[in-house]
Amino acid sequence: MSTLSLNGRPEAARRPLRFFVFALAVLLGIGSLSARLFYLQILNASRYTTQAQANRTLLNALPAARGLIYDRDKQALVANVPTYSVKITPADLPLPRRPDVVATLAGLLGLDPADINTAIDSSSGSRFDPVRIASDVPKSTANFIAESRLDLPGVQIDVEARRQYVDGPLLSQVLGYTGPISATQLQALRDKGYLGDDLIGKTGLESVYETALRGTYGQQVVERNAAGQQTKVLETITEPGAGSSLVLTISRREQQMAEEALKWGMQTAGLKRGVIIVMNPQTGEILAMVSLPTYDNNAFARGISNSAYQALLGNPDKPLLNHAVNAHYPPGSTYKLVTGIGGLADGRITPTSQLLTQPFLSIGETKFYEWNKQGWGACDILCGFAHSSDTYFFQVAGMLGIDRLGYWASQLGFGQPTGIDLPGEVSGIVPTNQWKLDTLGQAIFPGETYQAGIGQGYDVVTPIQMINAYSALANGGTLYKPQLVRDIVGPDGSVLQAFQPEVLRKLEVSDKVLKTMREAARNVVLVRHTYNLVDLPIVVAGKSGTAEFGLKDAEGRLPFHSWFVAFVPKDPQKTASDPTGMKAVDRTDSDLAVLAFAYDSRTKGNVATEIVKYYLQMHYGIQEDFRITDLLQRGNFYQSN
Amino acid sequence: MGMGFGRTEAARVRDWGNRPVGASWPAFDLQLVTYAILLATIGLAMAYSNSVGPGASALDAGSTFTRGLLWTGLAVVAFGIVAVFDYQWLRTFAWPLYLAQIGLLVLTLAVGTGVGGVARWILIGGMAFQFSEIAKILMIVVLASFLGTRGDRAGSLRTIVGAAVLVGPPLVLVMLQPDLGTSLVFGGILVGMLFMSGASLRWLGAIAGAIVVAFPFIWANVLRDYQKERLTAFLNPNPDIQGSGYQLYQSQIAVGSGGWFGKGLTNGTQNQLDFLPVQTTDFVGAILAEELGFLGCIVVFLLFAALIWRILVAGWRSKDPFGMAFASGLASMILFQLVVNFGMVIGIMPITGIPLPFVSHGGASLISLAAGLGIVQSINVRQRRAEW
Repeated sequence: MSTLSLNGRPEAARRPLRFFVFALAVLLGIGSLSARLFYLQILNASRYTTQAQANRTLLNALPAARGLIYDRDKQALVANVPTYSVKITPADLPLPRRPDVVATLAGLLGLDPADINTAIDSSSGSRFDPVRIASDVPKSTANFIAESRLDLPGVQIDVEARRQYVDGPLLSQVLGYTGPISATQLQALRDKGYLGDDLIGKTGLESVYETALRGTYGQQVVERNAAGQQTKVLETITEPGAGSSLVLTISRREQQMAEEALKWGMQTAGLKRGVIIVMNPQTGEILAMVSLPTYDNNAFARGISNSAYQALLGNPDKPLLNHAVNAHYPPGSTYKLVTGIGGLADGRITPTSQLLTQPFLSIGETKFYEWNKQGWGACDILCGFAHSSDTYFFQVAGMLGIDRLGYWASQLGFGQPTGIDLPGEVSGIVPTNQWKLDTLGQAIFPGETYQAGIGQGYDVVTPIQMINAYSALANGGTLYKPQLVRDIVGPDGSVLQAFQPEVLRKLEVSDKVLKTMREAARNVVLVRHTYNLVDLPIVVAGKSGTAEFGLKDAEGRLPFHSWFVAFVPKDPQKTASDPTGMKAVDRTDSDLAVLAFAYDSRTKGNVATEIVKYYLQMHYGIQEDFRITDLLQRGNFYQSN
Repeated sequence: MGMGFGRTEAARVRDWGNRPVGASWPAFDLQLVTYAILLATIGLAMAYSNSVGPGASALDAGSTFTRGLLWTGLAVVAFGIVAVFDYQWLRTFAWPLYLAQIGLLVLTLAVGTGVGGVARWILIGGMAFQFSEIAKILMIVVLASFLGTRGDRAGSLRTIVGAAVLVGPPLVLVMLQPDLGTSLVFGGILVGMLFMSGASLRWLGAIAGAIVVAFPFIWANVLRDYQKERLTAFLNPNPDIQGSGYQLYQSQIAVGSGGWFGKGLTNGTQNQLDFLPVQTTDFVGAILAEELGFLGCIVVFLLFAALIWRILVAGWRSKDPFGMAFASGLASMILFQLVVNFGMVIGIMPITGIPLPFVSHGGASLISLAAGLGIVQSINVRQRRAEW
């Protein structure tokens, strides 16, 4: 109620209750604010402190220098070269600006904006992990992008080391390459310190020895502001530890000679695929391993374009495969080693027992022909192996039966991976009754046993298995694990892990059996089954093979691969006291085995033999050229075996 | 001694009888000024903290801190001038002031600038000036003038309707800028002043009920999408921290990581590394909470409580309906802005662009408040002390 004051002006009505209520409202307002503050600042302090810390700090990886790879003579096969890569941190790229930024980057880098968007969206890491957009960007482009930072939020230029493979295609299938880590790999490896924009060994030795080569990344805590710029380094938690280096068993020189021999043979005979392997039978060390066609691993290290990659994938001769270990083929007559050792070891034949070789053998109505349709009359194992008599080995295989034949194949390492330190090794197939029941639901027919005895039918092997088996023959019965790495050495050059030969198995055969088979292999050369190989000034023993595959042509002939696998005794020069070289192959000191495999090689002679011959000429420095180019005329020749 | 002198003055007033009361400077409320200066100083400290950094000194020309100092100086001057004048003149000029207020808001709409299609500021000599802040004080003056004449009719519906009609045009003009937050402050002032002036609680309740009923209509037809998004962002338990929820998310991290005592002035990482948006204006409370902690905030709250208390005391003592209404209007505005602004910083109020009185960086806000306090002091020193 208003009243008049003494001076006649209206007095304000005082309303104590309403003042009280207002004061209550003040208390209520401030009380609510304080209560909420207490909840945030006191009760949840640690949670928000952690978030503030996470906001502010970034754990930066300090990449370690990846270890190098040397050949056995310590020549570097790979170098780390600095390159510029472009990355985007999605969290720092505001969505409304993304189309502009992506379009600008696409223009600068010559990329499709869709690819950049895909890269950002398919990143599996957190939004704070940089995503690789382009690698090996020219320095001028990198500088331009770095200077345009304000127009390109979230975009960063990283200097990182790229692998440069000194010999490129020469060793691609062995060395492999490094590339950006895939989403699935990252998921599995994040705990081990891998980052979303990391490089990782993708195949070959780079992938098998990834752990050793990679080293350990250091860790650094940096402070960053809201714009994502690093303001200072707060702490270095761990320094990076450089990766270890590999010293290979491969000799660059041997690899080059092997490649040259194979290339020559393939070119001369018009072939599309081939393999050559050089191995030390005493240790299992691989001195050279070439698979053609090949590819350039530098293209992958630089970041291969999708079209180039599709072209490699679409090539029918599969250049990305190392045909020495990643593919299996019918072995043909080289497999007669298995049949011969089995027959002798199981006592089905003796070194002197004779079997009649004939134009053909029959099982029921089916005829199994001798390759020359004639035979060589009565033959012992030396004769049968030397002429590669099919009817001889049909009979031995028949005596053994498929399961014993399979047993001896397994003894020699077929049908199972050799364990070589390369990825994707295939096992091949050693047919047995059980195998055929499991896969085809019926037992082996007698004719199939015959076929298996000469390396046809179901038999398939990898070139590495084949040379490993002959190496075991050459060294007196020890099956080694083929190896590509001699030593793992630390950054300071100290040997962290020295090469040790790894024995897979001691063959359960007497020395006498193996000696007989080595003599038989030498006899292959002596009877000129391999043409003039016997004329080389060194003692070579070995076995050729011609393996039919595929579909018959109009004249009923099958295409075929050719094989030759050889070993050379230590000190192989021919001597007067041992004119045939038989004494030399009686020894078990061979330190060189060579295998050549020529895919689809319809030539007059055996291309593989010529390739091995050429390699041996180079390896031993033989001046005279014994190659017979005529033999490599291509046409639809009947197999010569 | 001051009080003794005041008593002598009171005696003199009584002697003067009917004559208008002259200034009685010993009634000047030092407490009121002290609390305001302390709050403004804390605001300057926040501006200082935000201005220092690598390669930047707080005293750099154009830094938030130097501009804050300048505005504080101007505010002190404004306070002094207004306090010296007899506030009774305001009543006389209420209508011109009302027209001036509407003129300023129309001008803002016509030539104002702002961020993202809004018109909130007018650039004067390179400095952005927000006339809506001035308009709030003028609104309180106009409303106080109106309510001061209602006398016995204060409790009638016409008082409420009349006040609402007065507030309507400025409120709509501010909303058109669009500045939802400031228009809400107008509403807060209106409700506070009506309540303190003895408006009918029944009618106030009925109108509040009507607004609640009308709310779905307002929501659907008046509010823009981004306003709705902001208004509801604080209710969202899983906010889009890259988008609409970013400010609130970063603000709560800043507040929560402050703890009891804060990280220390200039040590707030959320502030220094720019994770906080608009950290010297709307979200200044986040710096406060981060760098000075829970206790720092409580000190600020207590200063606000004391300041509001002194303003209310001035109104209570004046016994003049205008003075009473003005003081309650200013107190309502400060309380409303404190609760809504700080509530926004700590996630219990929607995000609106309302400054924290005295503390937020902003010239128009500070000068308006200083003028408002000047009026309160003018009320203090010109109160009729007859019955004291």
